[in-house]
Amino acid sequence: MTAASVLSVESVTKVFSGAGKPDLVALEDVSFSVGDGEFVAIVGASGSGKSTLLRIIDGLLPATSGAVRVGGEAVTHPGFDRAMVFQQDCLLPWKTVLDNVAYGLVIGGAKIADAHETARRFVQMAGLTGFEHHYPHQLSGGMRQRVNVARALAVNPRILLLDEPFAALDAQTREIMQGELLNIWSESRTTVVLITHQIEEAVFLSDRVVVFSARPGSVREEIPVPLPRPRTMEMKRSEVFVSLVDRVWRLIEHEVRKAVEEGMA
Amino acid sequence: MGSISGLLDFLESKGRAAATARLLLSVAFVLVVWEAVASVVESRLLIVPPLEVAQALSEESASGALWTNAVATIGAVAISFPIAALIGISVGLALASSRFLALTAGPLLTALNSVPVIALAPLFIAWLGLGFASKFVIVTIFSMFPILVTTEVGLRATDRHLVEAARSFNASYWQIFRTVTLPFALPFIISGIRVGWARALVAIIVAEFFGAFAGFGFAILAAGQSFDTAVLLAYVILLGILGLSGSLFFEWLERRLAPWRQDQ
Repeated sequence: MTAASVLSVESVTKVFSGAGKPDLVALEDVSFSVGDGEFVAIVGASGSGKSTLLRIIDGLLPATSGAVRVGGEAVTHPGFDRAMVFQQDCLLPWKTVLDNVAYGLVIGGAKIADAHETARRFVQMAGLTGFEHHYPHQLSGGMRQRVNVARALAVNPRILLLDEPFAALDAQTREIMQGELLNIWSESRTTVVLITHQIEEAVFLSDRVVVFSARPGSVREEIPVPLPRPRTMEMKRSEVFVSLVDRVWRLIEHEVRKAVEEGMA
Repeated sequence: MGSISGLLDFLESKGRAAATARLLLSVAFVLVVWEAVASVVESRLLIVPPLEVAQALSEESASGALWTNAVATIGAVAISFPIAALIGISVGLALASSRFLALTAGPLLTALNSVPVIALAPLFIAWLGLGFASKFVIVTIFSMFPILVTTEVGLRATDRHLVEAARSFNASYWQIFRTVTLPFALPFIISGIRVGWARALVAIIVAEFFGAFAGFGFAILAAGQSFDTAVLLAYVILLGILGLSGSLFFEWLERRLAPWRQDQ
């Protein structure tokens, strides 16, 4: 663990035990750390407990054993040093874009006027100026996810947690959103932990890819991404990019195939 | 042809003018059919043409009977229904927030709801007498159930992803209730109130049938027994207007409180 690490996951194990069901070990002895301002992507086959880990980092779920520390402090519940962007549409349908972006601030006790002022900045940052008073159902899927990102960033978190943020979007929108996420991120330079099952996305966005193995989820390998920033679409065709994607794919290929077969069985 | 399709487009459009036009059109249609049937059917015991009903209405109004009855009926509903809504929402809230309550009291309430409570009206009147108390109890019990059920369903239906997102901002239980669960349930609750309103009108009439000194139900029964079909229909029409205006009011309320549901 380096001195600059802002997030450290220390031997986290998560066991789900339900009455009458065998215990399910979702995560086993997961350890890694994330440096200040670093963009880390976690990839793995479905069933590798990625989402569970993100919820433990956010404080939504307790770890069965082990600890998550943010800036040295053990995480016990959700807090404003972390903010999460969910996969699904998690915007409040009865609130406007501005009110949705201000939501976290208001929950945290900010005055409405102050929260709106901050929210307006992040609405602008997310490229949604002019849509402040629209309701979520009046926006496209890509725009809704930008509101989601803006809502998380508005509380000024030390760590931004992204749970498959673009999974519900079509392929083209997804490409565009990856670029836009990097633009927004380059302005805030928050520490980011991204969960995705898309290897290209992980490599393109991150400084380091943490590859998970499945059932139980554990860290298989950490792969640094030496691509320079700012990242451009052309880099996706570079040799470094392609070989990195290939390397990650080889690490999880067996488990992905197994998951697919189990899905079909 | 063009003007007819233009008229149809107007009638199907949004807006207050089109809604008013639709209402007038359907009222006119009913009046025309009514007049036509009344001109074929000879017996004035079976049906009375619209104009005679209007006349009966103005006579009732002039004699003051209309106002006595209106005060009795509307007064009873105006007091009973808000209390029924309050009880329905409170019990629905309790059932949605406590698993224990839902499991123990839930089946009992379902059973009570499936019993035609209205059939117990004579019993309530025997207990509570012919005055306001029996009307109050009958209206309250009969109209609170749909409100209770939709409140519980609405609160339980809340998207768990929305709750999780609120929790990730470290929202307290009360904050989640206030900013997520309750707004989500609101349209459900209002639709329960709309159904409840219709049932409240049925309940008040039944209560007044079985025993009352005044009210629309009392007047309808009295008119029926003296074969005065014009007066009977006059009061039925007033009830219809009461039901419709309540329904329109709650629709308006839903639009005000849940604007995001309009163009979904």
